This record gives sequence, C-alpha cells and structure tokens, in this order.
Amino acid sequence: MSENPTSGSQVSTDSPRKSNLNFRGLLAYRGTSTASAELLMAVCAFCGFFLVWYAIVAFGIVPERFLPFPDAVVKALWGMFATNNFIEDVGISITRVWGAFILSVIMAVPIGIWMGSYRVVGAIIEPIVDFIRYLPVPALVPLLIIWFGIGESSKVAVLWMGTFFQLVLLIADDSKRIPREYIEIGYTLGARPSQITKDIVFRSMMPNMVDNLRITLGWCWTWIIVAEIVASKSGIGHVIWSMRRFLKTPEIMAGILTVGVIGLVSDQIIRILARRIFRYL
Amino acid sequence: MSDTAPFVRVSGVSKIFDGDRAHGSIHVIDNVSMDIGTGEFVVYLGPSGCGKTTLMRIVGGLETATDGIVDLAGERVTGPDRHKGMVFQAYTSFPWLTVYENILFGTKYRTDINDTEKAEVSRHYLDLVGLGEFSEFFVNRISGGMRQRVAIARTLAAGPDILLMDEPFGALDAQTREFLQVQLLEISRIEKKAVIFVTHDVEEAVFLADRIFIFSARPATIVEEVPVKDTIPGRRTLETKETEEFFHLRNHVRNVMLAQTKAMEMIDVPTGDAE
Ligand SMILES: Nc1ncnc2c1ncn2[C@@H]1O[C@H](COP(=O)(O)OP(=O)(O)OP(=O)(O)O)[C@@H](O)[C@H]1O
Ligand SMILES: [Mg+2]
Repeated sequence: MSENPTSGSQVSTDSPRKSNLNFRGLLAYRGTSTASAELLMAVCAFCGFFLVWYAIVAFGIVPERFLPFPDAVVKALWGMFATNNFIEDVGISITRVWGAFILSVIMAVPIGIWMGSYRVVGAIIEPIVDFIRYLPVPALVPLLIIWFGIGESSKVAVLWMGTFFQLVLLIADDSKRIPREYIEIGYTLGARPSQITKDIVFRSMMPNMVDNLRITLGWCWTWIIVAEIVASKSGIGHVIWSMRRFLKTPEIMAGILTVGVIGLVSDQIIRILARRIFRYL
Repeated sequence: MSDTAPFVRVSGVSKIFDGDRAHGSIHVIDNVSMDIGTGEFVVYLGPSGCGKTTLMRIVGGLETATDGIVDLAGERVTGPDRHKGMVFQAYTSFPWLTVYENILFGTKYRTDINDTEKAEVSRHYLDLVGLGEFSEFFVNRISGGMRQRVAIARTLAAGPDILLMDEPFGALDAQTREFLQVQLLEISRIEKKAVIFVTHDVEEAVFLADRIFIFSARPATIVEEVPVKDTIPGRRTLETKETEEFFHLRNHVRNVMLAQTKAMEMIDVPTGDAE
C-alpha cells in the first residue's frame, strides 16, 4: 500500500526506524519501545550472558573441564564445521524438524478447526487427544523405534507424537475463541459454513495460530535431539551424544548452541514474516 | 407506505430458553405480534434484559421461536441469510481487512451481481457512509463511530431487505451518536429499507422511529405502540429534537419506560427488603 498523505496524522504508532531509543518508555510500566531500543537490549543481554559465563570459568567457580570458556566453544564449533562436516548434520536435523513440523501442522490445522466447528467432532476427538498428549514422548521412543525402525520415519514419528496432539487442541481453542458475532455476520451476509470457516474463522484466528506454531516449532527441537540421541547416526543430537564419549565439553556445548541459534533465527524469521502478513495488528 | 400486505409479519411469537441445572428455563417473549411495512423504521424499546435482542434475532433467523411464526416479504423465516442484515453493538468489522475490503466483503456471497458491480456497490456504500478517504485504512486504525459505519455499509452492500440493528450506537459518545443517527435516517430514506432498531435510549428511539414498540419486563409483551410518524411527520433533522411534539412524545415514552423498569425491579427483588 502506498503511503497516502492523510495516514500520517491518523496512525499514531512510532515508526520503528526512529533513532530515538526512548529509554523512558522502556522503563515505564507497560511503556512503549522502539525496534532499535529492543535490539540494543537484546545485544546487551547476550553480551551479559557471555560475560557471566566467562567470569564463572575465569574465577574457577566451575572447572574448565565441565564448563569451557566461550571462545573455546566457538573454536570447537568452527572446527566441527571445518573438519567434521557438521553442516551436514545441521541440515539433516533442520530437515527432520521441518518435515515433521509441517506434517503436524497440515494435520492439526484442519482437524483442530473441524473440532472447533462441530461439537460432535470435538466431543469424539478431544478425550483421546487429551489422553495421548499426556503420554511422555521419551517413553514412547522405544516403541516407535520398534514400529518404525531407526530410519527417518521413526524421528518424524517422535516429533509428530510430541507436537500434533498439543497443536490440535491449541488450534481447536483458537478457532473456538473467535467472536460469535463474526459467525453470525457471515450467515447474514449469505455465507455457508464452509465459506465462514475459510473466509472468517481461519482468517480471524491466524495471528494466534502463528504464535502457537512458533511455540510448537520450539518443541520440535527438543524432541529431535531426544530422537537423535537415542537412535540415529546423524544429526545434531547424534553429534552431541557422540562427543560425550570423549568428554569433549566444548563440542557438546557448540552443538547445543547451534540448536539455540537455529531456534532464535527461525523464530525471528517467522515473527518478521508474521508482522508483514498481519500488518493490521 | 400503505401496502396491503405487511413486509414483516410477526405472529404470536413466544420464546422460552431451555434452562440448565444452574439456571431454570427463562420465558423471554410472550405472544408478540406485529406488522412492519416496507421501508418502515421500527424501534424496540424496553427494560434491560426484557428480550428485545432475542425478538430481533428471531426476525433475523438467528434464533428460533418456541412458538409463533415470522414472515418476511411473504416467506417464512427459517434461518439467517443475506436478506436480513445485522449490525451489532460490538464492533464486528474484520480487523484483517481495510475499510473498503470490509464493505466489499458484504458483497462476497452475492450471486445476483458480478465482480464489477460488487466493486461499484461497495464504492457506493463507502461514499454513502462518508468514509471515502479512509478506504485504505485498517479498521482498528479508525474510531468506533467509523467502525460502526463500516459495519452498516458492509451490511447494506449485501443487499438486504431489512436492517436489524442491535444498539449499534450504544458504545459511542453523545456527539458521534447524534451524528450517526442523522446519517442513519438519511440512509434509510435513500435506501427505503425496513429497519428494526433496538435501543435503550428514549431520545434516540423517538428521533429515529416511524413507530416505537415498548416492551414490558420479561417475558416481553408489547405494552404500547407509539406511532411517532403521525405526530412528527416529514424529514427529521437535529432541530426536530427542539420541537414541542418531540418533547411531549419523549416524555410520554419515558414515563411508560419508567413504569416498566419499576415493574421489573419488583420482579427481580422477590424478597424485597424495603418494598
Ligand atoms: N442463548 C440464551 N440462552 C439462555 N438465555 C438467554 C439466551 N439469550 C438471552 N437469554 C436471556 O433472555 C433474556 C432476554 O435477553 P435479551 O438479550 O433478548 O434482552 P434485551 O432486551 O436485548 O436486553 P438488553 O437491553 O440488556 O440488551 C435475558 O434474561 C437473557 O439472560
Ligand atoms: Mg440486547
């Protein structure tokens, strides 16, 4: 949309590019902030984190054998990428996570909305889902390996077990939470239930849904490491686990750090995309 | 309009909401009948909780009557459709759409016109409610009064035969309210559509209505039918509110309302302390 001249006076939100860092707003109770101020805070938080870490090792609070210096971890990471072909493991883990995640999403979204739309569907599916989602996924791993072997399908199965049942309930809740008036408006504009679902319910719940998908994607990273530790010859989890055998703490931490960075980056990408798509929020 | 057949015919409508364990069943409407003419502006007035919304929703097909029938343009009302347009008190314009897109949404499910006509119709109603320069704004960037105008335009764009409005200006400040009342009268004069308008506000009722139905406390029955148009004929402007006829009529309606509200208080306090 082109910036029309009248919009300036109406839209009161601060432009994120404002150079003013607005510290007063950051400190005020429920105050406002700017993107640059938030970024600065985030950078400070990370610097502080590494500083504390460094101090803990430097003062010998934790022996270096158990907690290496941050720069040793970075060096280990560099070495893993340079000589151990770590990038391949990273790629494999990302592929597994996204494959399973997408499978969960394309199943959970329609089923969840369906559950929210018809009481009968909700009444049938909800108790079962509620039961299964309380089963501890790690306890299911042996069973899933017996069923699916140690190939890719067992990893997908673990991730799917760990996310689908939670997600489907979250989606059902999202779809139920949209105002009843929206549905009734749909009817009085002549829409059929399927059209209301597509054009009103789905559109209305989308921002909440994306938030729930972000959370779920985070869980996927927990389950993939579990799955790769237990039964895999590749992936970040496998690398972390095999380094344990040689007590290579820097490499283990490098692996963990990699997961954190991937999580942070993908989450930020989704948030930026969401902000683009949901410009009205 | 002196049509022989009424446009809307409500005959013997009663409504009882089935209770559950916590709440007993509630008798909300008791044997209400009324005829509404083509293009007539009808206002429902009554004490809070008496069943005005419920009756309006029954006319709109969003609620089914326990007893009695509603006919619209000679056809039995069995459910909601685009011939019965609704405007709610809560803001129902969609936040993910712009002002124009919201209005265009009103035409989305019409099969009687093509896409070009849909755009024309939407433009027409956009201008009619005076939001032309805000067409590209998302609705959460505009004021509450504007949002209600969007909702009205969207409903009109669907091409309804009757407008059902449930306290649409209830959440707005006095000035905005008055402004929208005048605008709504203009719109209904131009569009010649029947309107059922629910409100608490006696002044609003007298100002807008061709005819007011005053309901009793629950279960709602018609206690009085006030033919406002007979007393205040012709076009209404804000000056109308200064006239003696308006003043008298408003006082009369207020007194009838007061009596009903009192009656309701006595029902609601069965083991009254002072009464
Ligand atoms: N779906 C429902 N189930 C049970 N009871 C209901 C339902 N809808 C409304 N009622 C009850 O019916 C009565 C009338 O409600 P209604 O909303 O029609 O009143 P109203 O005249 O519009 O009130 P107000 O002026 O406060 O909006 C209320 O006591 C309400 O509790
Ligand atoms: Mg009401």
